[in-house]
Amino acid sequence: MSNVPENLFYTVDHEWIKIDGDIATIGITDFAQKALGDIVFVELPDVGESYSVNDTFGVVESIKSVSDLLIPVAGEVLERNDDLEDTPELCNESPFDNAWMLKIKMTNAEDKSSLLDATKYTAHCEASH
Amino acid sequence: MGDKTVLYDAHMKLNAKMAPFAGFEMPIQYTSIKEEVIAVRENVGVFDVSHMGEFFAEGPEAIKFIDNMMTNDFMGADLYKAVYSPLCRENGTVIDDFIAYKIGTERVLICVNASNIDKDYSWFESHVTEFDCQLSNHSSNYSLLAIQGPRSEEVLKQIEIYPTGDFPYYSAKEIQAHGEKLIIARTGYTGEDGFELFCSNQFITTLWDKLLNAGVIPCGLAARDVLRLEVGYPLYGHEIHDDVTPLDSALKWTVKFSKNNFIGKEALENYTPKYRLVKLSLDKGIPREGYPILNEEHETIGKVCSGTMSIISGKGIALCHVEKAKFPKDKKLFIQIRKNIVPANYHTKPFITGGHK
Repeated sequence: MSNVPENLFYTVDHEWIKIDGDIATIGITDFAQKALGDIVFVELPDVGESYSVNDTFGVVESIKSVSDLLIPVAGEVLERNDDLEDTPELCNESPFDNAWMLKIKMTNAEDKSSLLDATKYTAHCEASH
Repeated sequence: MGDKTVLYDAHMKLNAKMAPFAGFEMPIQYTSIKEEVIAVRENVGVFDVSHMGEFFAEGPEAIKFIDNMMTNDFMGADLYKAVYSPLCRENGTVIDDFIAYKIGTERVLICVNASNIDKDYSWFESHVTEFDCQLSNHSSNYSLLAIQGPRSEEVLKQIEIYPTGDFPYYSAKEIQAHGEKLIIARTGYTGEDGFELFCSNQFITTLWDKLLNAGVIPCGLAARDVLRLEVGYPLYGHEIHDDVTPLDSALKWTVKFSKNNFIGKEALENYTPKYRLVKLSLDKGIPREGYPILNEEHETIGKVCSGTMSIISGKGIALCHVEKAKFPKDKKLFIQIRKNIVPANYHTKPFITGGHK
């Protein structure tokens, strides 16, 4: 069973979003890291890039697979986690904390309403098994 | 859902991640690819490769028949030796690659890739009539385990499945063990010392349990792919396929033009290779199958045949086909990963040195 913190929002593509005012911090979930296995490479965009919902903002690679990362809320990249460049295994070890990927300045507060809460996301994970 | 190997339930019991491969549901990984690769490089692992095909050629001209089918030299190999070879058409293109095991003066075991069993069998069958030799397909009643890693000899001796006398790399023998007839070969596709055990579908579960009880680590096909790439071994469907010859894929060492005859000889003698198979690594990023290879002018001159992250070197590694006519003299090559053009390191030797004897 994977860990699903109550205080976060989620997408069906197994990303988590923490919202503080108009700042969204995003990463991939425990379910995602378990499904991918050993994560060996993470590619993230530069600070200042702007995205619309569901744009590809980067990739996460396991030994055998390449998965696109999709932006869950529209906005501009304020910060990215450079630790993931040299230590991508943080995604396996600490998906909700040390492996945060981007901080986004949200341009549309409404985007939040299409995200899943912990209960809905847990149900989604169970259905994907 | 594809065919199941006899060990399907054993894999499910271990919670293996299963996936379809060559028409079979096969274990891709058990715990982690990383742990499984390290098990084989430093300890000992076991792979269920029962999906692979087994044919027998038997009769006074069995060895002569196989020698004619392969580009490599089978006549010249000693009794109880195994020989790796491409299987070519008259025009020199590759049907498959295989290992032939000389287990008797009139008895040869042939092991082929699972995805090519039917294609290969028809090819062998269509040529066997000219020889005093019978061909039979035992793919569905033989199972195969590959026991690979520096401790594999020790473990097989411990479970009392080991031939008497010397048994160097690429040997093969039929033996009796635990009341069963098995074929043991010192072969594998990992670059490490290791063995392959061909046995009946009835005995395979007992054998699997004996190996696991002796501490051998179950390993999946994902680890096997990383292991073979780290030592630069080609795989059918990637580095070799129906549109290239062995001379396009760094397999010139397996083409013995000094032999009297073999299928494809004339075509290969007159063939100018189109590609060079090169080994590239990246300091940053992971090359994947199909990614373009560029020269310094950023012109596409090839593509990645197989790529992965090397567990041992920690770098992205790839086997790539580069057009021979466009191969840059200074060996400055680049791999395009999405929008990025990444300079590649050119390797003349395998990415890592395996420990096989």
